[in-house]
Amino acid sequence: MLVFDELKKNDLQLRLVAVMLVAGLCILLIGLWWVQVVSAHEFQSHLETQSYRSIRLPAVRGKILDREGRVLAENHPRYNLSLYLDDMRGPFDKAYGQSLKAAMARQKQLIAAAEKKLDRSLTKAERKTFALKSEQLQQMRVAARLRVAGEVVARVSEKIGEPITLDPKKFERAYETRLALPYPILPNLNEEQIARFQENYTNGLGADLELQSVRRYPLGLTAAHLLGYLQRNDESQEGEDPDFNYRLPDYRGLVGVEAGFDAQLRGRAGGESVLVNNLGYRQSENIWSQPAPGHNLVLTIDLDLQTVAETAVTSHQGAEAHAAVVVLDVRNGDVLALASSPSVDPNNYIEGFTAAEMARKDDENLRPEINRATQENYAPGSIFKPIIGLAVLESGLNPNKVFTVQADPLKPGKGCIYVGKRKIGDLAAPGDYDFRRAIMRSSNSYFIMNGLNTGIDKIIALSEKFHFGDRTGLPTRQETSGDLPSLRRIHDGWTAGDTANVCIGQGEVAVTPMQMAVAFAAIANGGKVFWPRLAARIEPQDPAAGETATNFPAGLVRDELGVSARSLRTLHSAMLAETEDPEGTGKAAVVGPGLRICGKTGTAQVQDEHNRTIGHNYWFASFAPYENPKYAVVVMVQSTTEVGFGGSICAPIAHDIYESILKKQTAPSVLAMSH
Amino acid sequence: MFTPVPREKFDKLQIAALVGLMCLGAAFVFSATMVSQIETDKAWFAQVWFRQVIWYALGIGVAAALCAVDYHSLARWSFVAYWAMILCLVVVLIPFIGKTHGWGARRWIDLPFFQFQPSEFAKLAFILAAANFLARPADELKQMHIFWKGIGLMMLPFALILKEPDLGSALVLLPTGLVMMFAAGTPKKYLLLLIGTVSLLAVLFLADLLFAPLRWQIPMQEYQRNRLLVYFGRDYTHFASPNATPAELQRLKQRQLDDAYNVRQALISVGSGGLMGKGWRQGTQNALGYLPRAVAHNDFIFSVIAEEEGFVGSVIILALYAVVLFTGLRIAGSARDRLGKLVAVGVVTLIFSHVFINIGMNIRIMPVTGVPLPLLSYGGSSVLGSLIAVGLMQNIHIHRRGY
Repeated sequence: MLVFDELKKNDLQLRLVAVMLVAGLCILLIGLWWVQVVSAHEFQSHLETQSYRSIRLPAVRGKILDREGRVLAENHPRYNLSLYLDDMRGPFDKAYGQSLKAAMARQKQLIAAAEKKLDRSLTKAERKTFALKSEQLQQMRVAARLRVAGEVVARVSEKIGEPITLDPKKFERAYETRLALPYPILPNLNEEQIARFQENYTNGLGADLELQSVRRYPLGLTAAHLLGYLQRNDESQEGEDPDFNYRLPDYRGLVGVEAGFDAQLRGRAGGESVLVNNLGYRQSENIWSQPAPGHNLVLTIDLDLQTVAETAVTSHQGAEAHAAVVVLDVRNGDVLALASSPSVDPNNYIEGFTAAEMARKDDENLRPEINRATQENYAPGSIFKPIIGLAVLESGLNPNKVFTVQADPLKPGKGCIYVGKRKIGDLAAPGDYDFRRAIMRSSNSYFIMNGLNTGIDKIIALSEKFHFGDRTGLPTRQETSGDLPSLRRIHDGWTAGDTANVCIGQGEVAVTPMQMAVAFAAIANGGKVFWPRLAARIEPQDPAAGETATNFPAGLVRDELGVSARSLRTLHSAMLAETEDPEGTGKAAVVGPGLRICGKTGTAQVQDEHNRTIGHNYWFASFAPYENPKYAVVVMVQSTTEVGFGGSICAPIAHDIYESILKKQTAPSVLAMSH
Repeated sequence: MFTPVPREKFDKLQIAALVGLMCLGAAFVFSATMVSQIETDKAWFAQVWFRQVIWYALGIGVAAALCAVDYHSLARWSFVAYWAMILCLVVVLIPFIGKTHGWGARRWIDLPFFQFQPSEFAKLAFILAAANFLARPADELKQMHIFWKGIGLMMLPFALILKEPDLGSALVLLPTGLVMMFAAGTPKKYLLLLIGTVSLLAVLFLADLLFAPLRWQIPMQEYQRNRLLVYFGRDYTHFASPNATPAELQRLKQRQLDDAYNVRQALISVGSGGLMGKGWRQGTQNALGYLPRAVAHNDFIFSVIAEEEGFVGSVIILALYAVVLFTGLRIAGSARDRLGKLVAVGVVTLIFSHVFINIGMNIRIMPVTGVPLPLLSYGGSSVLGSLIAVGLMQNIHIHRRGY
């Protein structure tokens, strides 16, 4: 070995030099080992942070479909015109070079002028005062960039025939913070603009189209409430990489099924890493994780019924009516229509609102974002009488037993009843009432009398079976539970007057139209209280992907009423009379012998804290066909003024819905062909 | 005089190591420069790597020619060469003759065919002159005036090169001179005195640089001071005037970051290479411009090699230099006389100093100074100088004892 050859020799000096060399080389070797082996990871991560920018790529959101696969929410491609700054680096440098040259020439002129004035050559220090400062150079760079970008924008603008302005501040900020990303100059090009751009801007320097997937609700206002809407949210979801340098626009469902099934609809975002050079310009890119598209959500909604329900409300009560409609399949609890009026076009949350639209959205009186079918409590009024009726029949009332209602001393044409010292007026006339006539004429006196005889305990016990006062569990994040006095409440300071109020659907009872629909479905189907089902299944967007669909079971029974078939039959025939008897209040709903309807109208007064009437809730709750019930339809309309009664306001809306059901039953093939 | 030299007289092991270094040098100058559009657009014979190969060829030619002449004859001309180089070093300081090439230091004289960097050749002239001077009988070295003459011989080029300024090239003269004096048998007490004085001065200098307030600072180039501050991890803000605004302090901090940039990027390059490296031409630090293009192929060529070939590559480079250095020492040991031994020791120390300072600055154990890595860094003067130096060693080997 070389080293030892030297060390063996009897030359002290050379031996020492050799030791010095060995020591020096060892220091380098240890240093290199430390940097390249021990600390390699640290430096590799340094390298990554400085030369890679990660970008979160949102997945394509799943579609929302009705029960027959018709599209309620989808995505459409949007083309944004963007500047690709990495392509423009050369022109930037060139422009800066030109302005630098000009500045130097100017500097020379100034010096020459100064020298002429002084009649001598300048000293070094004097020359220095003319030198360009680094701030000036920086300004020139910024100006050169802006000039080049402005020229490209002007050229593109001319080619596509659309004025585009470049905001200097925004552009500079994007240059400094988002250099690796395209800079959008014109969002959302229409087809003509796209065509013009592609035809005319062929040598396309610096500008190109950028594709973005944007949520669209093709039917606009239809089913707006139950669909919900999205909000811009680029955050990483659970199970995704939490750290990204940049995030492309992504959205999160805020309410409606968009929120309830957000995780499934949204899919899993992917990631892209962009290699950038020392100035931050993009060099190459690599998608290291492809986004996994979200799944489609198939609803139980029948788009035909949903549309009919909404148009019925609009045509009878106007577009700004405060109203809700629920249609359930009484056999399994599937929600076939869930409408609320007024509503906001969910596209607006993506595309933006005009000032007028914004004012309408935030209108205190209109409150169009509220889903009136599930999100607010209303006094049920007389449509609660079938529940009271069922309770009194079950406690042994003979439905044929006649009860005579006395006349109101102040209004001789109306009946009344005294509960203790309090007189409760009746809209129905005085006279003889059996069960059928009491339902049909909506006699307050009859139901208060019999309700008091039955006792509040039995009424509350039955109401609890219907699950009034409980949420129905819809996945829309738009539900209230309603009000129902608890068993504790009715044993603590409860009066006969309170019971009387409950018997006519006022006082401490409040419901949502959805709860009423579930209750009427239970009455119709023989006593099964279902969990209403809004989502039928979640299926992969690409059926070839090999993933299986998740089916949500239909007909989940929440409770059994446990009432006798005889009581239900009595109630059904009384409710049938409501629409078919000449004296019935719900005749406006009738669509003919093909579909006989059992219904109950209602009008509840809305009172403020001083017991002043501030509005009315009009109701029509029903199911059909009488012989073999399939559909439950509940219609609710709010009004601040007295405009009629449930039979005149709501029954016509139900009529339109039943008519459409009847048509569909008689001509299914035609309907099937139309979609 | 010009007798042909039989091949077997060369130290073949050293030549093999040198050829290895030159091959690696050409390959990595290629890798370091063929990343910019401007470079790849040139004709192949105008590209930097090819110019480096030409310099190797020229250098080998000159070295071979030198081997044909007995080093004793060369040594007779050493004082002429020494003073000629001193003249060049003076000339290079004159504005309009000495060129800065944008680096703020006057180090180059532009000749029609190449940019001549006198300091590279001054080092060799110094080694020859010092060897010639110190080759006298060891007893004479005990005389004080001889010792001081030797010191003067060293300090003259040192001061001139420092004036350019080129701290790195000046500094390598010190260990070279000291080791040669030591090898010549200069009494230990002189050397210890000398080392003690130099160390004391160095400590005072650094203490002044790092801790003294601004007006007590030794005047020196701003960038040199900053490099040293960066190396010792001192905050620039420490030297700000006491009533500096936060914006000024911020600017100082930013400047410190900028000044530390090269070192940081070199360290990231070397470190991210890891054990095995990323492969030839696969390094990103240089390709993406994080490692400044202007220095990647010369002063920081080691960063490029270390990033692309990893620790394994670094060890190979170190091993090749070790072979050159220890064969050099073997040549010194078997030299015919004191002159030969001293020249060989001088060349070995010179090469070692370059290697240590250059690789050391890439891994931050040395401050950044413009010292090239012999035979690997791009640069005509450096390549020529290195090859002439090893040529001298081969010459001594050829004319060794027993021949």
